[in-house]
Amino acid sequence: MCFKNLPIEFDSSGKARLIQSGGDPFAVTTSPIRQYVRPTEGGSGGASPSSAPPRLREWSIDPVTRVAGALAVHTTLDLENRKAVDAYSMAMLFRGYEIILQGRDPRDAIDISSRACGVCGGVHSTVSSMAIEQAFGIVPPPLGVVVRNLGECAEMFYDHPIHLGLLAGPDYSTALVQMTNPELVVMAEQTPAKNAHIHGYKTVKDIMDAMNPLEGEIYLEALEYTRIGRIMCTLMFGKFPHPSTLVPGGVSTTITTSTFNEFYAQLAKIFDYAKRLAGWWDDICDFFLEADPAYEQVGARPSNLIQTGIWDDPNVYDATYKNIDTWGNARYSAPGVIVDGKLVTTDLTRINMGIEEFVEHSFYEDWTKKGPVAFETDPLGNPLSPYHMMNKVTIPRPEGKNFKEKYTWDTAPRWDRMSMETGVYGRMWTTALADNLQPNDFLNSTGDGLRMVMPRHELPEMVLEWKIPKVLNAFERNRGRAYGVAFTASIAMINLMQAFEYWRKGETKTATKFKVPQDERVGYGYWEAGRGYLSHHLHMDKGKLLNYQINTPSTWNAAPRDPFGEPGPYEEAIVDTPILESVSDDNIKGIDILRAIRSFDPCMPCTTHMDTGRGIITREVNSCSCTLE
Amino acid sequence: MVQYTKVPDHPHNENPLLPLITDPADPLAPIALRSTLLEPNTDQFQGPLEKVYLFWIVGASCDGCTIAVTGATHPRLEDLLLGRVPGLPRVELIHTVVSVESGPEWTENLRMAAAGELDAPFLICWEGSIMDETYSGDGYWMGLGEDRETGRQITSLEWLDRMAPKAAAVVAVGTCATWGGIPAAANNPTNAKGVMDHLGKDYRSTLGLPVVNVPGCSPVGDNIIETAAAALLFLNGLAPLPEFDELGRPAWLFTETVHRHCPRAGYYEEGVFAEEYGDKECLVELGCWGPVVQCNIAERGIVDGHGGCMNMGGICIGCTMPGFPDKFAPFYAAPPGSFLSGTTSRAVGGFIRRVRRLTMHDKQRSVRWQDDELPSGWARYKTQPVGAEKAVHRFYSKVQHHNDGGSQ
Ligand code: SF4
Ligand code: SF4
Repeated sequence: MCFKNLPIEFDSSGKARLIQSGGDPFAVTTSPIRQYVRPTEGGSGGASPSSAPPRLREWSIDPVTRVAGALAVHTTLDLENRKAVDAYSMAMLFRGYEIILQGRDPRDAIDISSRACGVCGGVHSTVSSMAIEQAFGIVPPPLGVVVRNLGECAEMFYDHPIHLGLLAGPDYSTALVQMTNPELVVMAEQTPAKNAHIHGYKTVKDIMDAMNPLEGEIYLEALEYTRIGRIMCTLMFGKFPHPSTLVPGGVSTTITTSTFNEFYAQLAKIFDYAKRLAGWWDDICDFFLEADPAYEQVGARPSNLIQTGIWDDPNVYDATYKNIDTWGNARYSAPGVIVDGKLVTTDLTRINMGIEEFVEHSFYEDWTKKGPVAFETDPLGNPLSPYHMMNKVTIPRPEGKNFKEKYTWDTAPRWDRMSMETGVYGRMWTTALADNLQPNDFLNSTGDGLRMVMPRHELPEMVLEWKIPKVLNAFERNRGRAYGVAFTASIAMINLMQAFEYWRKGETKTATKFKVPQDERVGYGYWEAGRGYLSHHLHMDKGKLLNYQINTPSTWNAAPRDPFGEPGPYEEAIVDTPILESVSDDNIKGIDILRAIRSFDPCMPCTTHMDTGRGIITREVNSCSCTLE
Repeated sequence: MVQYTKVPDHPHNENPLLPLITDPADPLAPIALRSTLLEPNTDQFQGPLEKVYLFWIVGASCDGCTIAVTGATHPRLEDLLLGRVPGLPRVELIHTVVSVESGPEWTENLRMAAAGELDAPFLICWEGSIMDETYSGDGYWMGLGEDRETGRQITSLEWLDRMAPKAAAVVAVGTCATWGGIPAAANNPTNAKGVMDHLGKDYRSTLGLPVVNVPGCSPVGDNIIETAAAALLFLNGLAPLPEFDELGRPAWLFTETVHRHCPRAGYYEEGVFAEEYGDKECLVELGCWGPVVQCNIAERGIVDGHGGCMNMGGICIGCTMPGFPDKFAPFYAAPPGSFLSGTTSRAVGGFIRRVRRLTMHDKQRSVRWQDDELPSGWARYKTQPVGAEKAVHRFYSKVQHHNDGGSQ
């Protein structure tokens, strides 16, 4: 059974159909939001002392720093039991990007949607060109697909180091740990680093010193490696962070022999960096988890993950929706949904079918109450919920935040009505479980993890093995991301070899000619960002966009409570995170809570610029003539 | 001045708050407090300004400008933050992506700046458009920090209004902040605009400067950091006052059109145009707006001299310009004016290109090979120029050497 909660079943041939039960099969019965602590009601003073644990502290982390974009988290800490007992995740920014896209030439969506996110602009341009080529009915030539793949590998080489070195890293540095757990610093000094032979740091404390913000070697080196990643990216995409060479049907990059030679020269540096990254994050994670097994609970949540797959096989990818499952399953990084650690599906049609987006606790109005929705099925006839992104109409309604009602600009995407997380470790996880990689020299699944061959550079050739974690927590997210550089580097190597092969054969075309169709079309783009899940959906007619929607990884991860009252991934991860600081109540810094949040690598810019449906905007406080649209 | 009272008090602060970290020795305390503990630089070579605070605050932004500046290499961001550029002040950066402290401690830095409690001057770099918070009812388009006393949600715009009058300079970074950019494009649901439009043309910083504008979507990282460094060099008496144009752009970066420095400009001149994506020639017929766009990416590259739009095959969509994006859309159609200039350069350039090819044929031969076969093992038999072509070379050579005593 694919779906437990949605009214969709499959016949013997695997075709999906709605389970008819009379009434609206997708009806939502709302429940009050899950509040973990009940604050004493103001004025009445009637709450019994037992309803709230003693010594509660409110902590409004606004803004959460060392994340990209505007994120705030409100959490309640129980100092008695030393843990977080409640959490609300808030996206603080609305820009209305896709309202701006409506009525434009569909090709312009590539450049405009890229500006939804300056942290990972390349992935948006890429998925946008994929949605457009599906709508236009064109396929890029094989080298065009490979160049896209290489550009996206390069983007990850900038993306993962910036998080590991600059954003998350400082939370494990001597400077900060000294203030929260001085005993750990002493212990680290006496703990030899297991991977000293790879990275050269003798003790764990040496690594922690190197992670010190702004001054540590690892911190500064990370910045430099992001620049190498960016340079590689510009070879394929021209400009960074917003590419200038992505077009429907491929890329407009002028490829020369130097393009791939230069890429290779830089990639060799990444091989070594990947080895060291895995080495020092293994040392750091193992040290903390061995020092106190309770660290396993920091940021822990059930292993429910959704991934859309990235890096296409140029021999299989044909851009059509009809074959979306075939080319999706041929991706180097597999799409998939994992529920409680088990792989439920790898088919993009089923992933697509299961998605709904709720706005119960977001600053928008529920569009399903406003009239019939646009699509009851996808192009293959599979049922879609009225809450599916293709049906969404955004009706923003800014108001003061209220945790019982509405408190964020993010929406609550759910798959089969469950809260799902996504990330680089998620795609390694689905790739390991799906185990359908073509035989190659650099990457294969071991069934319970991945085996990656990192060729020699200054360091000798090494085999890195990443294991699927038992508990999904802050440490395993960071460890997975560190191994993610090797994962990506191995895929870059496979693609580079392919690029050389096409170049040798004289298959040098990178784009396919097209005309903008004038009839009604839809396009579903599925791809991944550094942080996982990414989709763009377009609906066009007469050569103009009617509707353009974006759903991003942090839309999933930063989601608020859903109509059923259940929390989103950050919220789930924060609640019950222990406070393991060894300092007095008054000196608590909440570092474990921040470790939990940051381990997701939150990236808010594109979280809140999505799916504005058909552009119905209502304003209450308003003196602008454009209301009369 | 807008009155900021509309956002209701925070409904959830019913328990005591976690205390604010104020010990300057604590790495999680506000940097404005931590910084007071650092010994001032006593180098002999050090201008009057020893330290500045840089508040990098965002409105409707995608964080692309932040990413751009972290990629800069002339100088590197970390060089400024660590005080590694001789003579320049050390820069204490307050930025949500980079700051060590979070939440209330982070916001405390902004409060101190607005209240005039900092121990050194401060600059504001503003990224992203200004969204009109009079349109957001009881809510906000962009919240940034809570008031600790009342729990009131503060907007990022409120911080700009409170801090700008006390800032030594306000730098609008990127096309959103300078001119409004994409959030301000047609349909504009939040009534977005640039910083200059919001603060008004009478705005002056404490140094007497109007808003400085570094456009680009996203800008070249080096353009941002160089502008900041140039201003600091000037303040420390090391370099002349940077020149700004009538829109407040650093004139030395944004006066030239990107076309003039484009590596494909030679193709344009010879009248050869790309017909398909990926072609190596001038991109004007694929939609390039370079000839009328003020931008320096062609010569500067995007990261450490690498990349750049036309350099790699991307058309210019005018992302540095006040008219971006609407006045350049649809991006993938040839600019109307390109028909005229394209036809002209096809005609004239086509002729010149042919003449140049003749000359090239001659210059490809060394003087020793003049009358022999080519000694190259790479080519099959190739003739020397003969007949009319040879006569043309003779004539050309006469003219070239008429002053130095004869032809080669
Ligand atoms: S590609 Fe654009 S900038 Fe370059 S020469 Fe052609 S028109 Fe000018
Ligand atoms: S060349 Fe054009 S598109 Fe490229 S950065 Fe400059 S202004 Fe922007």
